[in-house]
Amino acid sequence: MEDLQYVILKRERFHDFISRLSKMQKLVAPVSKGYHHFAFEEVTSGNEIALSYIPTILPLKKFFMPQRETLLEFKTAKGTYAEPVVEYEPMTIFGAHTCDLAGIQCLNMVFSERPKDYNYLTRKNKITLIGLECNAYCDEHASCHLVNASFPSGGYDLFFTDLEDYFIVHVNTQTGDEIIDIIKSFEKADMSHIKELKRLRDNKSKIFSNEVSIERRHIPELFDMSFRARVWKALEERCLACGNCTNVCPTCYCFDIRDELELNLKRGVRYRVWDSCQLEPFARVAGGINFRKERSARQRHRYYRKFRYPVDRFSRFFCTGCGRCTRTCMAGISLKETLNELIKESEDRVWKKWL
Amino acid sequence: MKKPKVGIFDFACCEGCQLQIANIGEDVLDVLGSIDVVEWREVMSEKWGKNLDIAIVEGSITNPHAVKRIQRIRKKAKILIAYGSCATIGGVNGMKNNFNLDDIRKYVYGDSYRFFPTEMTKAVHQTVKVDYFVNGCPVYIPEFVAVLKAVLQGVPYYVPDYPVCVECKLNENVCMYDRKVTCLGPVTRAGCNAWCINNGNICYGCRGMVSNPNEKGAQDVLAKYKIPMDLILNKMNMYNKCRELG
Ligand code: SF4
Ligand code: SF4
Ligand code: SF4
Ligand code: SF4
Ligand code: SF4
Repeated sequence: MEDLQYVILKRERFHDFISRLSKMQKLVAPVSKGYHHFAFEEVTSGNEIALSYIPTILPLKKFFMPQRETLLEFKTAKGTYAEPVVEYEPMTIFGAHTCDLAGIQCLNMVFSERPKDYNYLTRKNKITLIGLECNAYCDEHASCHLVNASFPSGGYDLFFTDLEDYFIVHVNTQTGDEIIDIIKSFEKADMSHIKELKRLRDNKSKIFSNEVSIERRHIPELFDMSFRARVWKALEERCLACGNCTNVCPTCYCFDIRDELELNLKRGVRYRVWDSCQLEPFARVAGGINFRKERSARQRHRYYRKFRYPVDRFSRFFCTGCGRCTRTCMAGISLKETLNELIKESEDRVWKKWL
Repeated sequence: MKKPKVGIFDFACCEGCQLQIANIGEDVLDVLGSIDVVEWREVMSEKWGKNLDIAIVEGSITNPHAVKRIQRIRKKAKILIAYGSCATIGGVNGMKNNFNLDDIRKYVYGDSYRFFPTEMTKAVHQTVKVDYFVNGCPVYIPEFVAVLKAVLQGVPYYVPDYPVCVECKLNENVCMYDRKVTCLGPVTRAGCNAWCINNGNICYGCRGMVSNPNEKGAQDVLAKYKIPMDLILNKMNMYNKCRELG
C-alpha cells in the first residue's frame, strides 16, 4: 500500500472541498429523493449530499449514455446534408460506490469494441470519477462480493474512504492529482492513516462474503446447465415485463435508434434511446414474429447476459451486485433468490443422477 | 406541398382533448401552419361537407346515430385519426357496458327513455377502420405532434407497446409502489412520458393496456399491497372496459 499515493481530507474540510469542487465544473453526487431513495443530481454544497446512501434509482450510466441522445442532424432536401452530433458536458461525479465503478468499467469495454462508439467515448473522457467506499453493506439486496465488486479495483480518478475523523483518498490518475493540487484542502497521509485504512479493509473482509452460496468460478458452469431450468418458467407468471430491472441496471446498454423530422419535414435528427430486452416489442421482427414472446425467456436472457455470455466475450460478469433490479421489481423478483433457486435445482439434478 | 384539409369531429366525450390543441404552446403555429382546418365545430361555424385528407375524431361511439355519422366521416376522409382515450379505447364511457342498457337509459332519461336509443360503448376502431391512434385522457401533446408528423410523412406511427414504467424510470421517479401506493403503470401503454407520475400522481391507465399484459401478475402485485380484488378490477376497468368487445 505504501507505494501508492494517498492523501487525507479532514472531516471539517469536507464542505469546503465540495463547494470548491463544484466551482471547477458541474458536480453530481447522491442526494435523497425521500422514501429511502436516492439519485445522482447536481450539487453545489456538501449539505445536499447523502454520504450514506443505497444505490441510486438510476445508475451512473445516465451520464455516460443518456436516456435520449442526438447522434445526427440532417436535411431532407436534395444533395443530402447530414452532420454527426456528439453531445457532452464536462462533469465530476462524486460518491460512486465500487459496484457502480464496476458498471462503468463494463460499459467502457462494450463501447470501446470496434466499431468504437465515439459518442460514448468522448463523453466518458470528459467525466471525472470520484469513488466512495462502502464500509458495510448498503442493504440485504446487494451481491457485490459474489461478483468481486465490493472492494475498489480501479476505474476512478480519486477514491474516498470514510474513516470518521477524516477521509483517506487514493489518487489514481493525473486528473485526480490535479484536483488535489488545485483544491488544496488535502494533507499527505502517513503510516497511521494507511494502517487505519488497512484495519477497515480487514474488518470489511469479515463483513462481506459471497451473498449466494456458490463459488465465483462455478457460476458459468451453473448457467451452462440451467438453460431449461424450472426457475425460468416460474418467472413467466410473475414478471410484468415492465423493463425496470434493465433500465436501472448499470450494465444494460441496449438502445434503439430513431429518426424524427420537424413539422415542416425539411430537417430532422437521428437519436438513440434506452431499450430493454424485457419489453414486448424488443424481439418482434418483420412479419410480426416475436422470437422472445415469453416473459420467462426474456428474464432468462437477462440473467445470461449478466452471468454467462459476457464471461466468454469480456472475461467478466456483467452484474455488479448492486441489487437495483431486485429493489425496483414490484413483482418481488430477486436476483439473489433466483440464483439460489438455480443452485438448488441444479443440485437436485446432480443428486438424481447419482440415485 | 399542399396543406392537407383537416376536419375535427367529436362524439361522446368531454371535448377536453380538443382543448389540448390550445395548450400546444410554442408549437401551435407550426402545427396550424402545416394543416388547413376546414371543419371544427368547437371553434368555427362553417361546415365543410366535402372530402377530407384527415379526419381527427374525438369521443366514443355510443348510439345508432353516432354509428351512421362516423361511417359518413370515414367515407369522406383519406386518413382517420382516433384522438383521445374515448376514441382510441372507449375510455370512461365504457363504464356504461357494466350495466343493462335499458336500466342505464331509464336512469338517465327517465320515462321518455324510449326516445333515446343507445348501444354498447365502442372505441372508434370497433366501428370503422382507424389509421392512427393518439391515446390519452387527455392526449399528450408531444405525442399528437409526433403522430401528425407521421401522417404528413405518410409513415405509420407505432404507439409504444411497453408499459409506462419504462418512461417513469427514465425520469428517475420514486416508484409509487415504494410509496405504498398502487399504480397502473406496469400494464398501461407508454407514450405520455409518465406524465402523471412525474407530477406526483399515480397512473390511472388512461392510454389503454399493453398488447400482452400480465394481468395475473399485476393482480398478484396489487393483492400483495392488500388492495381488494374488486377495487383492482374497477381500477383496470375505469378506462379499459371496451377491451372486452374485441
Ligand atoms: S422489474 Fe420485475 S416485473 Fe419488471 S421486467 Fe424486471 S423482473 Fe419483470
Ligand atoms: S443485474 Fe441487478 S444486481 Fe446485477 S448489476 Fe444489474 S441491477 Fe445490479
Ligand atoms: S452493492 Fe456493494 S458496493 Fe454497491 S452499494 Fe451495496 S455494498 Fe456498496
Ligand atoms: S410509479 Fe407506476 S409507472 Fe412508475 S415505475 Fe412505479 S409502477 Fe411503474
Ligand atoms: S401516466 Fe397513466 S394516467 Fe397519466 S397520462 Fe400516462 S397513461 Fe394516462
